[in-house]
Amino acid sequence: MTAPLTTTPARPAAAPRGRRRRAYKGERTLRNSVVALIIAFNAVLLVYPIASAFSGSFHQWNPLNGTYRWIGGDNYAELLHDPTFWTSLTNTLYFSVVVIAARVVLGLALAYAIWSQVTRHKTFFRAVFYMPTVTPMVAIAYVWKMMYNPQIGIFHTFLGIDINWLYDSTWALPAIMFMTIWKDFGYAVILFLSALHSLPEDTLEAAAVDGAGSWQRLRHIILPLLHPMTIFVVITSLISYAQAYVQILIMTQGGPGKSTFLISYIIFDEAFQQYDFGYASAIAFVLLIITAALTAVSFGVSARRSGGRA
Amino acid sequence: MSKRLQTIVLEGVLLVLGVTTVFPFVWMLFSAFKPNSEIRSLDQTLLPRQWTLENFLGLQDTFDFVRFFANSLGVALAITAVTIYTSCLCGYVLAKYRFRGRNAIFGFILGTMMIPWAVTIIPRYTMFEAWGLRDSYLSLILPAVLSGFGIFMLRQSMADVPDAILEAARIDGASEIYIFHRIVLPMSRNPISALTIFQFLWAWEDYLWPYLMIDSEDKQVLAVGLTTFSGRYGTDYGGLFAATTISVLPVLIVYLIFQKRFIAGAAAAAVKG
Repeated sequence: MTAPLTTTPARPAAAPRGRRRRAYKGERTLRNSVVALIIAFNAVLLVYPIASAFSGSFHQWNPLNGTYRWIGGDNYAELLHDPTFWTSLTNTLYFSVVVIAARVVLGLALAYAIWSQVTRHKTFFRAVFYMPTVTPMVAIAYVWKMMYNPQIGIFHTFLGIDINWLYDSTWALPAIMFMTIWKDFGYAVILFLSALHSLPEDTLEAAAVDGAGSWQRLRHIILPLLHPMTIFVVITSLISYAQAYVQILIMTQGGPGKSTFLISYIIFDEAFQQYDFGYASAIAFVLLIITAALTAVSFGVSARRSGGRA
Repeated sequence: MSKRLQTIVLEGVLLVLGVTTVFPFVWMLFSAFKPNSEIRSLDQTLLPRQWTLENFLGLQDTFDFVRFFANSLGVALAITAVTIYTSCLCGYVLAKYRFRGRNAIFGFILGTMMIPWAVTIIPRYTMFEAWGLRDSYLSLILPAVLSGFGIFMLRQSMADVPDAILEAARIDGASEIYIFHRIVLPMSRNPISALTIFQFLWAWEDYLWPYLMIDSEDKQVLAVGLTTFSGRYGTDYGGLFAATTISVLPVLIVYLIFQKRFIAGAAAAAVKG
């Protein structure tokens, strides 16, 4: 298995490079239309918005009273002194690290258990663990909000645990993190399972013949081979958790206090509840830079660990 | 511990975890059939003591729930259809045609998948407002015309379509459009099913964009409708259970029917390279 996310998959050797065949009739038209569509769409709906958000982050920008005034780096300076921003940043880091770690560990453990041990009902387990992932977040957040409810929720009525989860600043964020882990771990199970199924069987057999126990096999052969998939899961999770806001919006709206503010939620709040577009854009760019940096670091770690192969 | 015993114990552990995973769904479903008095009672059971359809019937009385549902369905289906088609088209060209700039375009598309929504949403909001697209279904569908994820996924799988088949068809005089529709599309059934479910789910659960774009209640989608419902009828737990059940069911049913093909397609997109 090669690393995921490579841009040029290996081509069959049958088509020698360099000897270009003549373009067939219609090929050029189709290619030009597709390229034009990609360029036009991204120019209008991606590149232009990014540029205009970047410029907007240097402006005092309020759509309600029509203000659009250059203020230089003031939005960024304000960020540095904004305790809500710092709280949301540390919350987001805490949230992402724990949820991603749980996702990878649970995903790997369950996938390995299913792959190595389960003979019957494989499909059943895959389907069950993946179910929450393919369910709409808005609805799920409501169901969990009711599950955490101190009067009608299951923790109170079935388990007798009396904690007002979402209204207690110690428990609110962990409660949302727990729900997110529940919702998302199945994605990692599916991906790790598919990576396990594509492991080279002869290598595993050779190790068994050489007397490697199942733990040694896991530790020294399987886990290193799963490394590219692990990095893939970490990076995609990183990108998606940096953007998580729906569960916050529905379950706590950032409260109690500031205990569940996540960075994407304050962007939503600053932009569409306070209508401070300039400030929200500045936070969005900080988020973009952090995500890009962490992604680059993950790729770097991956490249070093696999000897520059990834 | 013998191998057999080990397997039994492990399957037991997995079963417990599986039951825990589906429990919230089961609880939601059964609670939707309980009268409100029972949902609030101190003495709880999983199964309703008294089954009632009141929660479901009540939804329509206080709220045009059916309208929200139909809007969501229409918008999600339109977005899914458009995205699938463009993803296949772009995926095919990027996988099978060789031209200058191809890798640059593909790299760019990979990059677009990493841009957080927060970066582009404010300018998009002001642009769509300036174009007079506020409160139209077009405003919901337009941003979904191209999907970076979809193109990535379909390109990966279309790279596997053998060149020989395409060449043979060309020699027989088939046009590119014909080859794409009659040969390439049917060969991509697995990734298409996976993308269909993902895209349908994302369109179905999307909250922020319809919340920003749609003002009239009769055009609103279910995800936003749910939040206004719970805001207005904050203590009607039974209604909320019924509403969430209905909003979860379509996606879950489609998933359970197609899950085999879907999982194969979803996994292949990530392992390939």
